[in-house]
Amino acid sequence: MSPGGEKAARRTRNRMTDDVIATRARALAGALAESGFARLRVRDGETEIELRRAPRTSPAAVAIALLSADPDRAAERPPDRAEVVSSDVVGIVRLMRPAIAEGQELEGDREVAYVETLGIRNPVRSRGAGRVSAVFVTDGQPVEYGQPLFTIER
Amino acid sequence: MFKKVLIANRGEIALRINRACHELGIATVAIFSDADRQSLHVRHADEAFCVGPGPVARSYLNIPNIISAALISGCDAIHPGYGFLAENARFAEIAADHGLTFIGPKPSVIAAMGDKATAKRIMHEAGVPTTPGSDIVASADEALAVAEKIGFPVLLKATAGGGGKGMRGVATAAELPTAFATAQAEAEASFKDGRMYVEKLLVNPRHIEVQVIADEHGGVAHLGERDCSVQKPSHQKLIEEASAPALDPNLRDRLHAVAVKATRAVGYTNAGTLEFLVAGDDFYFMEMNTRIQVEHPVTELIYGVDLVKEQIRIAAGEPLGFTQDDLHPHGHAIEVRVNAEDPDNNFSPAAGTLTTVVFPGGPGIRVDTHVYGGAVVPPFYDSLLAKIVAVGRSRESAILRMERALGETRIEGVKTTVEFCREVLANEEFRAGGIGVGWLPAFLTRRAAVVS
Repeated sequence: MSPGGEKAARRTRNRMTDDVIATRARALAGALAESGFARLRVRDGETEIELRRAPRTSPAAVAIALLSADPDRAAERPPDRAEVVSSDVVGIVRLMRPAIAEGQELEGDREVAYVETLGIRNPVRSRGAGRVSAVFVTDGQPVEYGQPLFTIER
Repeated sequence: MFKKVLIANRGEIALRINRACHELGIATVAIFSDADRQSLHVRHADEAFCVGPGPVARSYLNIPNIISAALISGCDAIHPGYGFLAENARFAEIAADHGLTFIGPKPSVIAAMGDKATAKRIMHEAGVPTTPGSDIVASADEALAVAEKIGFPVLLKATAGGGGKGMRGVATAAELPTAFATAQAEAEASFKDGRMYVEKLLVNPRHIEVQVIADEHGGVAHLGERDCSVQKPSHQKLIEEASAPALDPNLRDRLHAVAVKATRAVGYTNAGTLEFLVAGDDFYFMEMNTRIQVEHPVTELIYGVDLVKEQIRIAAGEPLGFTQDDLHPHGHAIEVRVNAEDPDNNFSPAAGTLTTVVFPGGPGIRVDTHVYGGAVVPPFYDSLLAKIVAVGRSRESAILRMERALGETRIEGVKTTVEFCREVLANEEFRAGGIGVGWLPAFLTRRAAVVS
């Protein structure tokens, strides 16, 4: 195995927890969209996932909040309508200039990045205004399907 | 030799390819769907990329995401395994366009052999015996005219077909229109290609296939035959053997010679299989599979050749490491497919969590599997959980060894084919050898009658 292979393998494993959460959240989002409920909370060991239906948006735009099961940390991070924006494709992520940064206020829907797959640009949009609460990727990084790119609080 | 190979598959075959790569010192990249995140093939690979959600159309058949994963991870080749994109000529072409070596034959050969009617015509022209029948028929009426000319019973087949889909046996003229419509609808749904042809239906023939291998320098060899006559009513194989039992040595030699001739005639490279139907002293070409087969281990065990490693070496441009004269089979091998299926309910597939998984071991047993205790069987994929393979000095010793191995096997949480296969192995007609493809369906009918 090449050194690059080892590094990338570690990257895959390190990402696993976030990936699992993102996958479950997506599955729950589907269940929430189909149900008539406004809120759904699931707890599994250390992880608690809460989903709320965003007001006046399509069912696909269900907001996702990731909470720690630790009550103190949960208090630090109130269950805002934080939406995880993930990659729909496998490719190289390119951040638009000026690059999206934590704490940044987005005024409306705009293309914040794109994922390049076989030379094709797959735009990643902010899908509305909000505050960027987390950026998980750097420009030029390879990303897989479902990989969280950033979180936007509405 | 390649530095890094992307394995465009899942399940046991992904692990099989991963092992071959690692033994050759090649790094591996796995792909997986959301539903396979915890699968063993993901853990064994050096790197892994999620390429889509559970349904195959969006993950294991997602060509852009798969090629992209190969490129961004720095792969120089792709092994497609079997199923999914293994016989997709367009995928092979796209891979080549992006500088990736497709481990398999040339796209033009995949395309020619993948279209069953074209393959039959090419083989016929190469002097390979083919079943009497038609080229593509435009309608049920046209199929009926052909059937009346060659005589009933006939088989309606989709030219894009495979795995028993888009195929119907028809005994009388009255049944034909309905059978044609349903087979065509199935072919359109499964392969997006509803073109049909007609051929003479042989009564209870044996399914015997010849393994061939060819390098890119003109070297061609066969690795004997496999008998895959134990097939479910859906025509899916359940138990396979090498060599074929109770086969006339003359007929065997003719089969091998024709297979090598056909391989040269189509300009074939890499590993492939020619499937024949054998009836009495005659045999007829059915189709050529341009990939590694599920049942390849029975051939490996009696010939002592690693077919997957050979595939990789050939794709890297190396010549065959042996000639025909170097190849001699030793003993007999038998494979049982452990499927998550209910044999008492038309082999309907089962999904769920495997609560207990214990596989057999000991002398002469090989287990190829991707499952483990606690593993989840997702509803989206093929029901194959494991292949248990037994090798012995004789057919009798291989069967006894398999019975011992199946007795050690414990899989709980979903219904499986393990106990059913033990019943088959214990059957006198099966033990005698030489049964046809109609044997298992008849066995099932008798069994159902006894149960009720």
